[in-house]
Amino acid sequence: MKLGVFVSDFRLTSDTLDRIKADKLGIILVENGVYHATTKEDGKSSPLLDKATNLYALSEDIQIRGMKDTDVDERVKVVNYSDVVDLIFNEYDKIAWL
Amino acid sequence: MGTLTIGCFPGVVGNMTYDFTLKLAEAAVDKGHKVNLWFSGNATSSIKANQKHLKDYPTAEIYLKALLEKGVEICTCEACSLSRGIKKPEGIEGVQWNAMHWYLAKIHGSDRVLQIGGE
Amino acid sequence: MGDVKLAYIVQKAQYKSESSRLAITHAIAYQTVEVLLDDGDNVIPTLCFVGEGVLGIQKGQNTMDVYGVTSTETHMKNTLLVDLDVLVCKEDLDKYGIPEDAMPNADEMGADKTIQVVPFSEIQKAMEESKHILFF
Repeated sequence: MKLGVFVSDFRLTSDTLDRIKADKLGIILVENGVYHATTKEDGKSSPLLDKATNLYALSEDIQIRGMKDTDVDERVKVVNYSDVVDLIFNEYDKIAWL
Repeated sequence: MGTLTIGCFPGVVGNMTYDFTLKLAEAAVDKGHKVNLWFSGNATSSIKANQKHLKDYPTAEIYLKALLEKGVEICTCEACSLSRGIKKPEGIEGVQWNAMHWYLAKIHGSDRVLQIGGE
Repeated sequence: MGDVKLAYIVQKAQYKSESSRLAITHAIAYQTVEVLLDDGDNVIPTLCFVGEGVLGIQKGQNTMDVYGVTSTETHMKNTLLVDLDVLVCKEDLDKYGIPEDAMPNADEMGADKTIQVVPFSEIQKAMEESKHILFF
């Protein structure tokens, strides 16, 4: 399955993402989830970024937190709401909000 | 064009997930998709009419009315709403009231479903 | 369009988040959805409990006595009565030291279904076989 997963928290309380298997897995970082893309803890990038090769972060949620799109880890593609809609309909056949 | 059904459970005040939901719904309908919006749990408090928009607090009514005008179908869980002291005549005009099977019926005809759990 | 399979994944413990209870009641709602669908159409949820979602579903609950609300145990029994498939992740039960025989059943109410304690791979399979996945 092609699964797009929304992550909206910086702290993950579930290991579900570690266990789900998908032929194509995409992680869409929104709300406080964008900190995974912008913030290093003790100098290290978020381990979440190692869990998928298709990573996205919502530009609007980066900007409202006083950060810039250029602050984002190079593995992460910055997208807007319109792009997210296209991801939902064109790139993944199932979507989930963890 | 496809159909997106979103189940939204978080309340309008307390976090930004509710705001995200409405923004996503708007973006989808603006691109020509059909959008259904189901409110359950604390999200059902958002359908009460005559909300005062204080700038320190997120608000729902003006955005819900805009979505309704764009053709988004919005329905609140009747039991969740009643349990929060909201009566149907007090609700925003155009927002439907129904039971959980409304959500499941919309899911049946949807290309994509995003279930956003709440508090 | 026929049947549409859904995987409901409960990953939050009961009695803190309302979502985890609403997952169960939204699954039970499949019983009446036909009134809104064309003949021959239906939705078929499979209710799955993983991670902390396995907490708060065991038998022996007395929520009605203490707080005056329906217990999750009662909701779980109702899922069995309406013939839903209920899968509980074995690895997570083991992780939290919950024995399989702590899972409620609705035998005395005449239910044919029982809760199935399964490895996560079975829940993965349920997600793959479903058209939509709903996390609660």
